[in-house]
Amino acid sequence: MRPELKLKLRKALAHLCLISIVTLVLIPFVMVTIASLRKGQFPPSALFVKPDQLSLEHWKFVLGIPYRELVNPATGETRVIQASPSPLLWVWNSVLVSGCSSLGIILLSGTAAYAFARLRFKFRGSILRALLILQMFPAVLSLVAYYVLLDYAGQHFRVIGLNTIPGLIAIYLAGISVNIWMIKGYFDTVPASMEESARIDGASQFQTFVRILLPMSAPIFAVVFILSFIYTMSEYPVASVVLQTSDTWTLAVGANSFLYEQEKLWGTFSALAVLGGLPITIVFLLCQRFVASGITSGAVKE
Amino acid sequence: MSLRHVLVILFVLPGLYLDFLAYTSGSAWVALGLLIVIGLGAYIYLDDRAKAYRYLFPGLIGFGLFVIFPLLYTVFVSLTRYSSSHLLPYDRALSLFQQETFSNGGSSYNYKLLPQGDAAFLLYLEEEKNPSRRFISEPFELNAKASGPVEEPIKLTMMAEGAAPPGQPLALPQITRQKLYLPLRSRHFLLPDGTLIALEGLQKFTARQRLWKNNADGSLTNLQDGSMVRPDFSQGYFVNQKGEKVGVGFRAFTGIENYAQIVTDPRIQGPFVRIFFWTILFSALSVVGGLTIGMFLAVLLDWTELRFRNLYRTLLILPYAVPSVLSILIFKGLFNQEFGAVNEFLRGLHLFAPEWETNPWGARAMILLVNLWLGYPYMMLVCTGMLKSVPSTIYEASAMDGSNPLTDFFRLTLPLVLPPLVPILVASFAFNFNNFTLVYLLTAGGPRMIGGGIAGETDLLVTYTFNLAFRDSGTNYGLASAIATLLFFIVGTLAWLNLRLSARKRKVAA
Repeated sequence: MRPELKLKLRKALAHLCLISIVTLVLIPFVMVTIASLRKGQFPPSALFVKPDQLSLEHWKFVLGIPYRELVNPATGETRVIQASPSPLLWVWNSVLVSGCSSLGIILLSGTAAYAFARLRFKFRGSILRALLILQMFPAVLSLVAYYVLLDYAGQHFRVIGLNTIPGLIAIYLAGISVNIWMIKGYFDTVPASMEESARIDGASQFQTFVRILLPMSAPIFAVVFILSFIYTMSEYPVASVVLQTSDTWTLAVGANSFLYEQEKLWGTFSALAVLGGLPITIVFLLCQRFVASGITSGAVKE
Repeated sequence: MSLRHVLVILFVLPGLYLDFLAYTSGSAWVALGLLIVIGLGAYIYLDDRAKAYRYLFPGLIGFGLFVIFPLLYTVFVSLTRYSSSHLLPYDRALSLFQQETFSNGGSSYNYKLLPQGDAAFLLYLEEEKNPSRRFISEPFELNAKASGPVEEPIKLTMMAEGAAPPGQPLALPQITRQKLYLPLRSRHFLLPDGTLIALEGLQKFTARQRLWKNNADGSLTNLQDGSMVRPDFSQGYFVNQKGEKVGVGFRAFTGIENYAQIVTDPRIQGPFVRIFFWTILFSALSVVGGLTIGMFLAVLLDWTELRFRNLYRTLLILPYAVPSVLSILIFKGLFNQEFGAVNEFLRGLHLFAPEWETNPWGARAMILLVNLWLGYPYMMLVCTGMLKSVPSTIYEASAMDGSNPLTDFFRLTLPLVLPPLVPILVASFAFNFNNFTLVYLLTAGGPRMIGGGIAGETDLLVTYTFNLAFRDSGTNYGLASAIATLLFFIVGTLAWLNLRLSARKRKVAA
């Protein structure tokens, strides 16, 4: 076989492989979008839908817009349906929880990573290792203790008790160790010479940290923010135990609530999934270069 | 005085106030802990020798509260008997005995229940033999909760002659069983002369006496029939002279009994071993499968002559970008045995339609497939980074020998890329070992394991433990905590190993 032909064949084969995998990746998303636009509560299973089966009822429901539903086809009797609370609230709660915890995580793990990367102190190595090992204790199994803690805190301060968003954020804020390692890995690659010369010019330690190291490390903070954001968006078990009433639910808890054992509201779920999943997906894809480099640098430098 | 001092004061003063509140509300241990934290914080931010810790302190507090405390709490619970039949702490179980009373044949009273507003009530009593002796209670609430804290008896006062009871009394049929009668019967009332009375039957309150007398050695004597019970801390029950259990169980320290149960009790051991091996198999296959697909795609996309590489890459990352809870739930619909898209497609091709929900291996295959879909993009990203660090010159030599890409990959690329990947693979293994959300939302552990109690065929150790602790029937916190502790040791060891591996790698690189 001629080499050019061989190369062409190889390329065709590669495209075929990639296209088939991409298809497998995309089908679920297409199906869930279709299901959200389809009349009735059908699970995501169709790639096409007839125009007369299209309906915006699920979207109106999750956006909290009132709409009329036919109750009795014979008499033409209708009723007005409006979600209460609107599932849009869960998306907002999720964004609030994820935004606040990711910001807090950046703050806490960034300062800690600075100490580990630049300062020398007793137990430095042991604390660093202990953080990583102790975090291996799965959060799910801490639920009893979380319950006890938040219940106690709530008896004195309603705002951070059970069934509150600040309480959930407080728990999420503890997930810092992987991020400390990642940020520390990045700090280690930034040469300390600039900070040293600033110190000689009379800047305090804190000033060199805030004015010099932080601006140079913006990419890694973007990565940590995005990764924590996605992680907290997807967190289900802790949120489902801490948040008990539907007005405090996050997207994950609310989405699952549409799929009861007896009656699965697939259409409504699909609309909520698209509504809640789309923005974060877009943001992620826009920042994917950042994220990809962060994952590899953080992982390699451990 | 610098800004730092002002800030420290601004944190310490409210902190001390909180500490005071905690102490006065009766939680001395919490107050002590808080005091230590405040003291430590003040020292760290005021003394220059502790300067480095200033950057660590806030993060470590949160970590201590929500990671270390739960861990220690779990280890502690794993050493105790704590389950649905041993729910109360010892002093609460004891006070349940102390609450019991019996009718000692004294006076009896007719009663009226007078609602006051929404939830409050007054009790009005009239002595049967001497109707001029009338009593009225202070306002109280009636809650239908099953096991609230032990309540003090409600005090009654003598009513002046001629005074009318306030409000309209409820008629007997209005005193509904669940909402009013049962809560009322569970309460005790105290007459001004110190007589204890409680509702007996439907219509009457009678004078009563405490049933159990406390003895100095911790045992209790039944004043009605003279029998004796004493707490048996190894069983977590009160037992009588014949050794029979009396009353409800309480939490008790048992040492390693829960751990021993995992090894010796066949009802626990059987499911535990099976779940353990499935957990390992699941994690290993997820890592190997994810790595294989991820590496394959990374290598393909590394091929500079291929067109649309960036488009492919963007689309292939999608499963990582979408919140995984949503994708897992979508897959739950796609893999639905009867109506799901997967089986409809397979039936359309006249292939077999696997039982994704009822067959154990079908369910396991589904979990693995979904996890591969979720997990390969991460591996792809990591492998892409690794491939970039491979110098292209090494291929030139082999190209002259006329090699093909496949042998190039296995002979040259893989040996270079694999060693630095090991820590990531171990971390990924540990992550999947505890992949709660996937299994819980996709199958909830089902189908049930035959003869395995609450264990399911697709349960991972972490979901099994969760079910042991939180499923409403037969919750066993002690056993669940023991398994959780074991689980932590397994995964903690992996993490420690991982640190050793990457430390060695650094040394080799240096």
